[in-house]
Amino acid sequence: MTDLHSDEFVLTVLRDPLTLTVRVSGELDYDTSDDLLRAVVAHLTEPCGFRDVRLDFRDLRYIDSTGLSALLMIHRRTSAAGVLLHLDHRPDFLERMLTMTNVLDHLTAPGHREEAAEAAAQDDDATGAGVP
Amino acid sequence: MPPLVAVSRGIPARPSDADRTVGTTWSDAPCPVLVADRDGGLVRMNGAARTLLPGAVDGEPLDQRVPTWLSDAHHQVSQGEHAPADAPHAGSIDDRFFAAHPTPGADGEVVWWLVEETDRRLARALDDAQGRSRILTEVSSTLLSTLNVGRCMDTAAAMAAEHLAEAAVLVAPPQGRRYPLTHAQRGGRVSHVTRRIDVAAVPGLAEALQGFPPVPARWINPDDLPDWAVPDGFAGPVNSVIVTPLPGHGVPAGALILLRSSTEQAFTEGEEAFARLFAARAGAALSAARLYSEQTRITETLMQELLPPTLTSVHGVDFAGGYRAAKEQDRVGGDFYDVHPAAHPSQETLVVLGDVAGKGLDAAVLTGKIRNTLHALLPLADDHERLLNLLNGALLTSRHTRFATLVLASVLRRGGKVHLRLTSAGHLPPLIVRNDGTVEEVATRGTLVGALPTVTATTVRTVLAPGETCVLFTDGITEARGGPLGDDLFGDHRLRRALSPCAGMPAEAVVERVQMLASEWVGAGRHDDMAAVAISAPRTGRLTVVNGQVGRQEGRRNR
Repeated sequence: MTDLHSDEFVLTVLRDPLTLTVRVSGELDYDTSDDLLRAVVAHLTEPCGFRDVRLDFRDLRYIDSTGLSALLMIHRRTSAAGVLLHLDHRPDFLERMLTMTNVLDHLTAPGHREEAAEAAAQDDDATGAGVP
Repeated sequence: MPPLVAVSRGIPARPSDADRTVGTTWSDAPCPVLVADRDGGLVRMNGAARTLLPGAVDGEPLDQRVPTWLSDAHHQVSQGEHAPADAPHAGSIDDRFFAAHPTPGADGEVVWWLVEETDRRLARALDDAQGRSRILTEVSSTLLSTLNVGRCMDTAAAMAAEHLAEAAVLVAPPQGRRYPLTHAQRGGRVSHVTRRIDVAAVPGLAEALQGFPPVPARWINPDDLPDWAVPDGFAGPVNSVIVTPLPGHGVPAGALILLRSSTEQAFTEGEEAFARLFAARAGAALSAARLYSEQTRITETLMQELLPPTLTSVHGVDFAGGYRAAKEQDRVGGDFYDVHPAAHPSQETLVVLGDVAGKGLDAAVLTGKIRNTLHALLPLADDHERLLNLLNGALLTSRHTRFATLVLASVLRRGGKVHLRLTSAGHLPPLIVRNDGTVEEVATRGTLVGALPTVTATTVRTVLAPGETCVLFTDGITEARGGPLGDDLFGDHRLRRALSPCAGMPAEAVVERVQMLASEWVGAGRHDDMAAVAISAPRTGRLTVVNGQVGRQEGRRNR
């Protein structure tokens, strides 16, 4: 743990025809969560053809509530795109957080497109109506 | 810049005996020399002049060969008029700059000596540019060193009066219908007034206040200026005016009116351009100051609204809360707690403690929304899971997945004991300190609120005997980093160890102990929000404790 570089936030993106793999290293927190979200969403907006998105957490050092918030948003986007989300090589602290907040099943369940629509239906205004 | 300046210095500006030597030596002169007759016809020229005006032929009219400024000058001189000594005839030929010095020749001819001043001009421009960039640097460093809007406006106006004009009036964006005005005069004092003004009275001011580009100074008639646009005691009539916007971050930071009296030169185009540069620096500094004070004000307002309540005893149950905000300035707390006392002792009191994801304004807004929604849902608190689902529905939006985790505790005292219904929505489970010193984790689990379509949660019922305490807390406490090595988490086990001796303590003492130990652990380091709420069943016979008579269950007390 004395390795200075181990805490540095790095995203490594691997694409093959059916699977997008993003390896998340370092701390996923208030400062870095947007980067992960953007990196994944950028690959989903084009007609992607992916069947799976795999987030590989083997080198994750820390995650805070903003990081979890980003995972929830990524799941919403993958569900809307009909892509299955996988959270691979989860360290203990991530497992504990996902268990305590009771979102593990939700995040790894086969995506259902209704979720985003449901969230949109709850909006006060009509701006979310365009969600597929 | 010696090499640039030296070129033209050595050449005599006005060769006094040229008439006698004309025809013999002028043709060898290193500078271009033209001889033109009374009627403006080109008579002769030397080699340097031929190089300068290739293709010019002796005898053709001067105005077809040379720029207007020179042919006009020749016309004037032929008529017997002379240029004033301090403003000789000068102008550009192609991209070079010349001063033209006339000497009388034979038969009313005029000999024009063209002395090149291109380099001198460049040198002067360079000097000016250096001076200006020095001023701009000074403006930026002086203005950016203060984040106080009032002082920033003072300094900007004073520096404008010092470096750009004789007087400056800074017009800030209106507050309601009134405009804060800052007047400054060179070497004089700076004064403020906030008043209603007609911005349309100064041409270009209304536009400048909206951030549109400045109108050229020459479009503004100084006689039309209203009184408020001229500082009291301004010497003499206004001769020249510049109105320039102060561009801010996205929104204009105001406008600057610069004034010169008739004793000074009118503003040149170069000075107008410089005024715009000055205004850009000043505007950036002003809007930074304004943003900062705005943010401070918002934070203060929100803090007032979000400040945790002071908790006391309600219907025979002791409540205590402690909150220590994170140190970072940009944080309005993401942690919160509330106690909603029951209307009647036979009804449950609801306690909520929670933590909102994220920080700053976004978190604060969500916190406020949760607290208000829960307050409105109080009548439905008999079913925690349903309450959480209603709250979840109210928070859900497609725009973000910002969520909150929280713990609900419904509290009722019956026959000396306190009955609890506890539900965690994705939050750290509460801990209960039993009278024998054991610390129990309450086995409630549930989904966080605000991000998923539905929420499931299990509610756990338990009973506190007199002297026992239930502690709700946020992860700011267990995740406080510090300790001997500075980077260890306070952690669940240290919290349990800290709580174990708290059996029998009043709620307030329990919260204080937890806060104190966590704070000691963190030391001077950074930490997140830390919040804790204790719910205690008061001991019966508490007075005997105060009197020092150790009661039945006082054995473990170590305070």
